[in-house]
Amino acid sequence: MTRLGPVLVLLALLAIWQLGAMALQADYLPTPIAVLPDLRAMLIDGDIWRDMAASLTRLAAGFAIGLAAGVPLGIVCGRSTAVRGCVNPLLALFYPVPKAALIPILMLWFGAGDLSKILIITLTVTLPIVYHAQQGAAAVEEKLLWSARAMGFSPAAILWRVVLPAALPELLLGVRVGIVIGLIVMISSEMIVRQNGLGYDIFNAMDMAQYTLTYAVIVIVGVLGYVLDSGFEALRRRLTFWAPQRQAMVAASS
Amino acid sequence: MIRNALRGAAPILLLLALWEGFARSGLVPRTLLPPATLVIARTATALTTASFDADLLTTLTRLLAGLALAIILGIALGILAAQNRVGGMIFDPLVRVLGPLPKIALFPAFLLLLGFEDAPRIALVLIDAIFPIMLAAHAAARAVDEKLIWSARAAGLSPAACVLRVVLPAAMPQIMTGIRVAAVIACVVVFLSEMVQPGDGLGDQMIRAARAFRSVDMFVPIVVISALGALLDATLATIRAQALAWAA
Repeated sequence: MTRLGPVLVLLALLAIWQLGAMALQADYLPTPIAVLPDLRAMLIDGDIWRDMAASLTRLAAGFAIGLAAGVPLGIVCGRSTAVRGCVNPLLALFYPVPKAALIPILMLWFGAGDLSKILIITLTVTLPIVYHAQQGAAAVEEKLLWSARAMGFSPAAILWRVVLPAALPELLLGVRVGIVIGLIVMISSEMIVRQNGLGYDIFNAMDMAQYTLTYAVIVIVGVLGYVLDSGFEALRRRLTFWAPQRQAMVAASS
Repeated sequence: MIRNALRGAAPILLLLALWEGFARSGLVPRTLLPPATLVIARTATALTTASFDADLLTTLTRLLAGLALAIILGIALGILAAQNRVGGMIFDPLVRVLGPLPKIALFPAFLLLLGFEDAPRIALVLIDAIFPIMLAAHAAARAVDEKLIWSARAAGLSPAACVLRVVLPAAMPQIMTGIRVAAVIACVVVFLSEMVQPGDGLGDQMIRAARAFRSVDMFVPIVVISALGALLDATLATIRAQALAWAA
């Protein structure tokens, strides 16, 4: 049932779309069946793969920097009240800032190329990673730390070999939130600065009034979101099979 | 309390001071990074300008309309899914499929379907803001103590009255938390919708400033929308604390 559920829901959504489009009879809402040939053509002729690769490369690069910066910062924040007292007000300050909307300012600084778009993704995903890494690190059982210290671990070794693994379940929750909002920022930045990528494809098709193509790209983005999220969920379960499972709130601000 | 507030303000003031110093040091051109004081002064001027206020009002209207719809529908759907067996079976897979979908990708479809004015932007705010509220309402309604519901039913309350007078109040603390998350999302999304398809509103101010390379004016809409988000968040936090003092 849990396996079939998403498939059934997807079919139901497609059926609603099909019926709605048939009722409306407008060229700006093609039926999913009408979109199918475009979807097929796109996947075969390969243009979409190039744009998807461009989008995903930026997402991966932005994410890698976000992880490299956010995990150590979050872990240290969780263990040190002084660092926390310094970092948390800044986190609270940046929380309501629409990060994706900073893209024109980053373009002013770093040009209109990939770097701005990568940095905007980094900026966005770092926040939930720091926040959740901190929560996880702050909640590590004191007994584990005492034992490690008694066995002669250096402070750095404790952070790396005790705190980090213990904080992993919570940290990975933050990474999952990061994936969802990273995708949002990836798409929106490509819609604001239209050069390439999936966000660009959607608007480009719409501007040229190729409505079936517009919807085909939207479907691809939807599938991509689902695949990335459930792929990561599977990975997360394997990495933290020993921890009690918690549902992440799949919603966060971008 | 005051000491805590001061300690919290210190890193923020330090950041502002660093920004100001760096911008005035001459290491970077003013056009790339205007000093913080200049941005703050320009924001104050903008807020007294009629055309800027008109855009602010436009954005605020869209934001609140979408958020209000998300609150009503999110609470209704979340509780319905928790109370109803069929609803519950649809809810989980629906959230798993639609949750990770970057909703902004649907925005072009909304533009085509709903026109290029307010409606598509309100719809985008709705589908982005509804998720945290719906998830919170669902989780909270499922966690309501069954004994409370049984007592209410035994006391002669109809199922509908039971939802309104027992389940909803019991679920409210968690729902309010969901609404706070949703409010900040709504601010972000409405701004993005106005940047992606400019026309009017704060996002449009940002795009126009960027196209004209008026760098100070690029910071102003960001400052205003962020302040709006922080204000909304603080207001909701206060409401939550006041109205739900019993839940602590």
